[in-house]
Amino acid sequence: MVVDPRQEQLRVEAIVDEERTFDAGTAAGAPVRQTNLWKDAWFRYIRNRGAVIAGAILLLVILYCIIWPFVSPYDPNAVTFADKNQGPGLSHPLGTDAFGRDLLTRTALGGRVSIGIGFVATLVILLIGIAYGSLAGFIGGKVDNGLMRFLDALYGLPYLPFAIITLAILGNASFWTMVIALSVASWFTTARIVRGQIITLKENDYVRAAKAVGARWYRILGRHLLPNTLGVLVIAIFLELPGVILGEAFLSFIGLGISPPDSSWGQMAEEGRRVYRIVPHVIAIPSIAIATLVLSANFVADGLRDALDPRTRET
Amino acid sequence: MALLEVNDLHTHFFTREGVVRAVDGVSFSVERGKTLGIVGESGCGKSVTALSIMGLIPQPPARIVEGSVMFEGRDLVRLPERELEDVRGNEISMIFQDPMTCLNPTLRIGTQITETVRRHQGLSRQDARRRAVELLEQVRIPNAAGRLDDYPHRYSGGMRQRVMIAMALSCTPKLLIADEPTTALDVTVQAQVLDLLEELRREYQMAMIIITHDMGVVAEAADEIVVMYAGQIVEQADVLELFDHPEHPYTEALLGALPQLEGEGIREGRLTAIPGRPPDLIQLPPACRFAPRCRYANRHDACAQGVPELRELRPGHFVRSGHPASERAGARAEVTA
Repeated sequence: MVVDPRQEQLRVEAIVDEERTFDAGTAAGAPVRQTNLWKDAWFRYIRNRGAVIAGAILLLVILYCIIWPFVSPYDPNAVTFADKNQGPGLSHPLGTDAFGRDLLTRTALGGRVSIGIGFVATLVILLIGIAYGSLAGFIGGKVDNGLMRFLDALYGLPYLPFAIITLAILGNASFWTMVIALSVASWFTTARIVRGQIITLKENDYVRAAKAVGARWYRILGRHLLPNTLGVLVIAIFLELPGVILGEAFLSFIGLGISPPDSSWGQMAEEGRRVYRIVPHVIAIPSIAIATLVLSANFVADGLRDALDPRTRET
Repeated sequence: MALLEVNDLHTHFFTREGVVRAVDGVSFSVERGKTLGIVGESGCGKSVTALSIMGLIPQPPARIVEGSVMFEGRDLVRLPERELEDVRGNEISMIFQDPMTCLNPTLRIGTQITETVRRHQGLSRQDARRRAVELLEQVRIPNAAGRLDDYPHRYSGGMRQRVMIAMALSCTPKLLIADEPTTALDVTVQAQVLDLLEELRREYQMAMIIITHDMGVVAEAADEIVVMYAGQIVEQADVLELFDHPEHPYTEALLGALPQLEGEGIREGRLTAIPGRPPDLIQLPPACRFAPRCRYANRHDACAQGVPELRELRPGHFVRSGHPASERAGARAEVTA
């Protein structure tokens, strides 16, 4: 086995660190260099090259979406037929679409909507999932059984058709209706994950110890159980995110989601579909953007899982 | 009136295999400022008794089917959960066996100690913090103020048990239940923790119930001892009385299994083990529960006829056996005469 000397160095440092901590800790309570879970996790994370690159790309894409519309020389909605259907070139780095709008600027704008919906919907999913799962797991018994069987029934609902129906019921497709449509049928897995965590965590002795000093149930749940699920939840964010972004793209692509003149990556791809025989880059650019985002989110989730749960880490 | 009176407590676990009579008719009382030791081997109902007093048994599967736990005139068994929460940690505290798992790894030590005082005494953040430092100093954590913001993984096992003690004492409870407080600790640390407990007990003038399977621990700490076997009390007496004149064959066997370093009548050679294992608490025969392992029991006498009553052989000395030592000696004397 080839040992990367840098990694080996890191490992040795880690071991030395541990010993130092131990000595100081047992001796006389001398001031010890503070370290914590998140710092440890950070060090484990940056050793995972793929995850670091993916994280950097994710950050760059997000920053580009936020900042570029402000600095761009072009108005993303300005229609200039003289410049229509240009390929990538000097004045328009990513070319223009059928209305002559600058694609570099429009992609950033569409990204704001796509990523925004993605994160907000993920947050909503987490909130519902945490509330449902933690209550089921914490109360246990018949309540848990009932809630979980109900969840099993909901699991039968296909995600996208359910989102489509929700959109149809809500009527118009805006940012918030998209968020509702995308989160309403996708919090089931998060609820299950949280429930499983709570069930294992609540058997811990420190929970009994907390009860023995008179802690009430909401304190035990909020203070002792949920913070312990944080690692899993951080991973869940990056696992849910790609699915939600893909869902948004799909809905907008088939014309149910964000509609012109607003844009999202899915809606841009739909516009590109109409002209892909003439100017293929118009569909290619938003598609690549979606793929990049989804892939890097997956890699980040993977890296976080290894970093936050050392038990599954390969040695 | 005694501080705590446990009367005819029955805690049963209702499992798929049947009803486990983990605690089956246990009665004892603890006077203010006194220490009661509960001894017995694993699975004889010691911990379940303690958890029943605290109202912390897992329900379901367990349930207190009979009996009462009178604490200062209130029956804890029938107290609503909300009022019980006000008692726990405030008037009765508990220390658990394994300090490594009893502290939440994601919360700072200070947070976990202040949690209790803030909950029960409504102290402000600063006051609670000051109290926490004071408590940590009392349990002899060096540099207490500096260690308050550490997470539990920076504390050793002995230190964590001290933190647990600090948490338990934070509201100056009237009764402290220590469930095998030293079992998970190194032998050297055990003695320190026991000394600390005893010292703090005196200082706070608490009553204490100390649960252990280590006869050495109760000999040091307890005023009175209850010996449990298979969910029942088999012998109960003052500590000196029990060690000097053990009556129940089980107590004798427990003491025989103890190494002796000095003193008169020192035993030599191997320690005696008690053959067999405790009975299955689901299928209990209507006979003395210790009979299968008792060297004096035989199939034809009263041992097989029913569970012996707990009777008072001497004032304050209760035994549940058909063959207590004093009667055996008497019987032997009659035969030789």
